[in-house]
Amino acid sequence: MTTEEFVGISNLPNQIYKLVSKQGGVFTLLTCGESGLGKTTFINTLFQATLKPSDSHTGRSMQGPIRKTVEIDILRAELEEKNFTLKVNVIDTPGFGDNINNDKSWQQIIDFIDDQHDSYMRQEQQPYRDVKFDLRVHAVLYFIRPTGHGLKPLDIETMKRISTRANLIPVIAKADTLTSQELQDFKLRIRQVIEAQEIRIFTPPLNETQDDAAAMEHARQLIESMPFAIVGSEEQFDNGSGTKVVARKYPWGLVEVENDQHCDFRKLRSLLLRTNLLDLVLSTQELHYETYRRLRLESHLNGSSNDNELGEKSANNFVAAPARKLSHNPKFKEEENALKKYFTDQVKAEEQRFRQWEQNIVNERIKLNGDLEKIQAEVKKLEDQVATLKLRKR
Amino acid sequence: MSASPVSQVFSPSNNGVSVFRRKKEKRGITFSMMLVGASGTGKTTFANNLLESTIFPHRYQQDVPASTNNENVKIIQPTKVVTFNSMNGIPSYMSAFDPASPFLEPGITVTSTALEITTKSSEDIDSATPEKINFFLTDTLGLGENLNNGICFDEIASYLEQQFDSVLAEETRIKRNPRFQDTRVHVALYFIEPTGHGLRELDVEIMKRLSRYTNVLPIVARADSFTPDELTRFKKRIMEDIDRFNVPIYKFEVDENEDDLETIEENKALARLQPFAIICADQRDNATGKYYREYPWGKIDIDNENISDLKLLKRVLFGSHLQEFKDTTQNLLYENYRAEKLASVPAWDIENNEVIDTSINDENNEGNSSGLMKGLTRNSTAPSLSNFASLINTGKFKSQQSLAIPPQSETPSTPRLTGVDEGDESRASISASSQKSTPANIQTSPERTKLRNISENIPYMLQHERIVARKQKLEELEAQSAKELQKRIQELERKAIELKMKEKLLRQNSHSQSQESIQTNTTKQNSTSGGAYIKKEETYNDLASIISKKE
Ligand SMILES: Nc1nc2c(ncn2[C@@H]2O[C@H](COP(=O)(O)OP(=O)(O)OP(=O)(O)O)[C@@H](O)[C@H]2O)c(=O)[nH]1
Ligand SMILES: Nc1nc2c(ncn2[C@@H]2O[C@H](COP(=O)(O)OP(=O)(O)OP(=O)(O)O)[C@@H](O)[C@H]2O)c(=O)[nH]1
Ligand SMILES: [Mg+2]
Ligand SMILES: [Mg+2]
Repeated sequence: MTTEEFVGISNLPNQIYKLVSKQGGVFTLLTCGESGLGKTTFINTLFQATLKPSDSHTGRSMQGPIRKTVEIDILRAELEEKNFTLKVNVIDTPGFGDNINNDKSWQQIIDFIDDQHDSYMRQEQQPYRDVKFDLRVHAVLYFIRPTGHGLKPLDIETMKRISTRANLIPVIAKADTLTSQELQDFKLRIRQVIEAQEIRIFTPPLNETQDDAAAMEHARQLIESMPFAIVGSEEQFDNGSGTKVVARKYPWGLVEVENDQHCDFRKLRSLLLRTNLLDLVLSTQELHYETYRRLRLESHLNGSSNDNELGEKSANNFVAAPARKLSHNPKFKEEENALKKYFTDQVKAEEQRFRQWEQNIVNERIKLNGDLEKIQAEVKKLEDQVATLKLRKR
Repeated sequence: MSASPVSQVFSPSNNGVSVFRRKKEKRGITFSMMLVGASGTGKTTFANNLLESTIFPHRYQQDVPASTNNENVKIIQPTKVVTFNSMNGIPSYMSAFDPASPFLEPGITVTSTALEITTKSSEDIDSATPEKINFFLTDTLGLGENLNNGICFDEIASYLEQQFDSVLAEETRIKRNPRFQDTRVHVALYFIEPTGHGLRELDVEIMKRLSRYTNVLPIVARADSFTPDELTRFKKRIMEDIDRFNVPIYKFEVDENEDDLETIEENKALARLQPFAIICADQRDNATGKYYREYPWGKIDIDNENISDLKLLKRVLFGSHLQEFKDTTQNLLYENYRAEKLASVPAWDIENNEVIDTSINDENNEGNSSGLMKGLTRNSTAPSLSNFASLINTGKFKSQQSLAIPPQSETPSTPRLTGVDEGDESRASISASSQKSTPANIQTSPERTKLRNISENIPYMLQHERIVARKQKLEELEAQSAKELQKRIQELERKAIELKMKEKLLRQNSHSQSQESIQTNTTKQNSTSGGAYIKKEETYNDLASIISKKE
């Protein structure tokens, strides 16, 4: 892939460079948020190439019914700059929040993140601990709809769950539809909600002992502008002074993606790919993965009664893979239960109806029997009469 | 973007105001509009822009006073909640921004505002008196904000149906109510989120339901999210989806035989433009009174017809198509509904004729003469605070009406009572209520119908059970919300007391301080004697500690 401008990974300090390459030089980014907020467009903007056609080009809405499930798309790319290669995995989740009932629709995304931790953990437990396949999510970009109101329950529920598993970075999508004042108010509200709901978002570490004052200042700036307001575009336009810039061209003006006056795109890119790439990777390993691992081992230890020592990882103490079949998705479970209930109700209703019916038939038979007896009695009487008449005649 | 033919059609001389001249009435024209769409799509902003005033507050801004600041618009009846359904039993309309609780799903709230618009027809010199429109604006809040939005469209659709029912009830009445207010919604604007993709499940479902009872105009909201190319593509996609899912929206159709050439041209142009894409704004130029959106990269004049269809939409709504919307509502939608309703009567009715007659009599006896009025106003009985108050005090509502279930039995003379429609729970509850009739029926009918009756009734019995369960749940919710309210009141009261205490404390402090400097000896006595007014123990302790610190 060709990059006209350096993304910045080659500017990583030397020691970080080494660390990153020791870690395999892999960076995994997951985007999440309601449909149509420009996730795909953003990915393409970030990596300055069309990794994935956004749906407006493929015209998906022409085929099939309106989609019902969250999909998970994995895209791989290699960023190359000055002989430095960074393998980037981007996980896109189209279809999120598209349904009438979005309860538990976060489950697939949460499961995906957990599954990656799990897969890594099991590879690590192998005798030869070379991990071949690592898709642990280093950062989750959560796209917020630019309503100017606040966060939706779906946003809050999903963000809460993500924040305990990965580095969560909330972003305001399509920020070019909010005026400066609206954006300011909106950011404030979001920050208030995030704080009040105790959602832990990723913040660049402010190391007070750090001697690099400029880095400190930069980190502080990043924190201040969270949640980042972003604009995405796959097109370039002349900005009036002869240079081509990535922008969105409206009749009322040109929104420049890389203009700090217009949006926070540059800040976010810097955080993701330059200044805090290492923080993201390390905290994933040290915080989120370790938490997952501890919880898994604990639950396993608690689960089986006759256990060896705590830290031991012998072959028989293997952590079983969580069986995540369809039936384990609570959403399906709920549907299944509802269906079952409906079915039993129906059955009950039918049974009752049949019982009534039977009762009526029995009643009728009894009555008919009664009638029959009556008639028989009458016949007998008549016969008797006939007999007596005959006798009298004689 | 607005195509030029339309601008030509709406040349100033042909401004839609002529409609008012044609249909001049003493009491003015009644026009009712509904705004439906996901939260944050700009419904409130649109309503304000439409009326060129600041009547409607944004979400979480309920404390901002409404001001019309437009002499042509008068508020006849301020915004009130007409129906709602929510988890906590409180209409979200009233809630303020609380960062700690937005995880609470807002449910759905429908509000209504009655306004009077005076339109001075400028080119029309003959009519000195200005024309009036009695304008009802219905807004919906909370759509798309819930994890499960299934409750939303049922609530909105049943609200619309109730308006039809009340007209039907009025029509079948022998003695008409002279003050009857027709609240049928003539047009609903559905605000589509500017996703760039197409219609979502929710959009399709809601528009389908709405269009049974009203003219639906799909609107691309916040059209400034799109560049001209994207907008063209998005509009095309929306229309494709509308066709694909058979959403019966209002189409600007022409009747080649009846309409005049001008109308045909106009409608064709409008049809091509659908769905209208609008941009709305809060900011207003004080000098010119024009609304605009200002971004760091440019300024949007929302009246610019090349960018936004807002102005055009205004003309369509208040001018060229106002009467048309009313006519289709009456002649097509309502007539269909009426026919359907009446047609569903006989099958059930004939058999149970006498029984139903008696049940009607029963209900008539129960409901006094004002039952007629009650039936008409039942939809507008919003949960008032006095209701809450009585609920808190007695555990029961003043009126026997529950909050969420519209009482069904109050329109006894409606043929609707006897209509049986399996799909509709609320109607099923009526048939369930007439179940007491069945035993009598069994005795008189021959054996075969007996069996049939039984098999027919059981499903309704089951439905009835379900309804009872639902009602119970709702009542529980009501009680719960009342409790919550009370808790809040208590908390507020507590806070008030606390504040008062603090005030007193401060006063005393300053008092004692000043005294301290003069006569140190008496300080203790003074403040303790002041403390006698304070009843709460904690505060007493606080006071004591402060005093001891000082000494
Ligand atoms: N105004 C504005 N529009 C944007 C921006 N980014 C993308 N879009 C447009 O939004 C539409 C949807 O973008 P996508 O990138 O396909 O959205 P998505 O989030 O990937 O949607 P799903 O794949 O369905 O989840 C397209 O028409 C984009 O051109 C932005 O920053 N501002
Ligand atoms: N970019 C853009 N923003 C708009 C437009 N119309 C309204 N807004 C902004 O969107 C935000 C929400 O607008 P509201 O009018 O309160 O939305 P609403 O549909 O009434 O929302 P609820 O009351 O929650 O249902 C406000 O900040 C408006 O200024 C528009 O056409 N374009
Ligand atoms: Mg996408
Ligand atoms: Mg609103």
